[in-house]
Amino acid sequence: MIQEVYTLTVRELKKWLSRRGTFIVSLITPLFWLGLFGKSLNFAQMFAPTNIPPQYSSLISQYVNHQLLNLFGTTSYFTYLASGMLVVFGFFQSVFGGTNLVFEKRLGYLNRLLMTPTPRSGIFLSKVFGTLIRILFYETILMLIAWGLGIKFKPGLNVINVLLAGIAIVLIAIGFVSVFAAIAFNVDNVEIMFAIVNLINLPLMFASSALFPLKQMPSWLQEIAKFNPITYAADIVRYNLIGTPISNYLLSWAILIALSLALFIIGMLVSINAMERT
Amino acid sequence: MDPAIQAENLTKKYGNFVAVDHINFTINKGEIFSLLGPNGAGKTTTIGMLSTVKRPTEGDAYILGYSIVKHKYHVRKIIGVSPQDLTADDELSGYENVLIMAKLFGYRGNEAEDRAKWALNFMDLWDSAFKKVREYSGGMRRRLEIAMSIVHNPSVIFLDEPTVGLDVQSRRHIWDLVRELKKNGTTVLLTTHYMEEAEALSDRVAIIDHGKIIAIGTPSELKAKIKGDRIYILVKDNNKLDEVINKINDFLPNSASKIDNQILVKTESSSEFLPQLIKILSGYEVVELKVVKPNLEEVFLELTGRGLREEEGGFDRFKYMRVTRGATR
Repeated sequence: MIQEVYTLTVRELKKWLSRRGTFIVSLITPLFWLGLFGKSLNFAQMFAPTNIPPQYSSLISQYVNHQLLNLFGTTSYFTYLASGMLVVFGFFQSVFGGTNLVFEKRLGYLNRLLMTPTPRSGIFLSKVFGTLIRILFYETILMLIAWGLGIKFKPGLNVINVLLAGIAIVLIAIGFVSVFAAIAFNVDNVEIMFAIVNLINLPLMFASSALFPLKQMPSWLQEIAKFNPITYAADIVRYNLIGTPISNYLLSWAILIALSLALFIIGMLVSINAMERT
Repeated sequence: MDPAIQAENLTKKYGNFVAVDHINFTINKGEIFSLLGPNGAGKTTTIGMLSTVKRPTEGDAYILGYSIVKHKYHVRKIIGVSPQDLTADDELSGYENVLIMAKLFGYRGNEAEDRAKWALNFMDLWDSAFKKVREYSGGMRRRLEIAMSIVHNPSVIFLDEPTVGLDVQSRRHIWDLVRELKKNGTTVLLTTHYMEEAEALSDRVAIIDHGKIIAIGTPSELKAKIKGDRIYILVKDNNKLDEVINKINDFLPNSASKIDNQILVKTESSSEFLPQLIKILSGYEVVELKVVKPNLEEVFLELTGRGLREEEGGFDRFKYMRVTRGATR
């Protein structure tokens, strides 16, 4: 099966590389979030004291910074958002891995694959690997852009930190590529697929700590966010890249691995079942 | 002779709709066998079941002895399928597309490359092998689909409407290549709604309509079902069709009928009847008159009362005959 998975993954990557336009388009959404939203929502600047006597001004600044540090783990909201966006971008790209599959079904390519002796699990795995490689490439670019825009990495950041953050993003991607591939294998209509994507995308992003800390959310939303793997991936990435503390680091890893593995297994079984059930 | 394909009560239902209805046929090894029928007749669904991507609701079929229900993996190894859809990746070259298929059928390294080269050469595409598929013409894309299907040298190949939408020259090119496949000993199951394609290529033809096989035999055997010739008459004034039909039937009882705003006359011998027919028509403005010798289109019409391509939004028999004469010349 290794040769089949390798062959189909290389095919995915060759197609991706030949569509140069999509490379730019794929980066536009996270760039908007970082460049427009992240840089505009400068809380330190918003609450900067003006027309206040100097003895109070310094005190207020100290108070604002203290509050920001307490809330976001950093005085720069951009730094908080950029590290969360790395996870959200991995999630978004996973989703679009699934939508590509619906197009391939419509064009008849999937049927052609199903007429070959290629194992159905191999077809599924090639989708997962192809999407993962794309995500890792984009994440590297996005991290460089965030660095250029002023993300404040934690003092003493090392390769291990970057690697662990990368693994967390890979785990979240594996989970969601599997889920959306499973949906795509069961959906023939592109419009329906996009409707499902929109239905799931934004709620999952907002019901996580990717954009805002959980303690800022209403209690019911906090409960939902605790079951969202994006929350744990975002926490782990922040811990490793910008030094935001986590209450239980190892537990976060355990929950992220368990959720991603569960989504992967369910996604693969549902996908194989859909390929066999015609 | 050994059977390559045996279909036994093969049936596919989607809810209450029966797409393929208990069909039975046997295809011998090395034979070119056509499923001829209009769009929606069940041809592609039959191929889908035989190629293991659609599960039969009832019945079974055997490809070289392997059941399409119980031995799917074995069946997939020995068949090649050229689907009706153009599936090759536009962004890749023809060579890359064929090479992927070779690797999916288990060939590695140089062997896979040799197979891809052989398949592209066989389909007369080697000169364009390294061009992106988006630069291919329609005929080249169809040939590429077949190249992707034969790269592993399958014993049985399914060609689903292999020439649909192609010009006469490209169609004839593919016909020649299909005949070459037969010479190599490959069994070919072809679906088509072009009667001239079925007639030109097939050892035997099964006519399929509404999911059922309504006739099966060699083209000669099927044409023998029609006795005599067919004369189609197109008169300028449609209001006079009935009048003309009555006059013809007065001379030759029950020979004339109305079909698609034309008059169809069935006669044992057109040459004997034509002088009298010309006399009858002398009082009318005749736009076109055609004498048709028995062909598979006429067989289909005789068996179903419909033309093979009526579902495509109207059927101009005169235009059709002009086109097909060009294709078979």
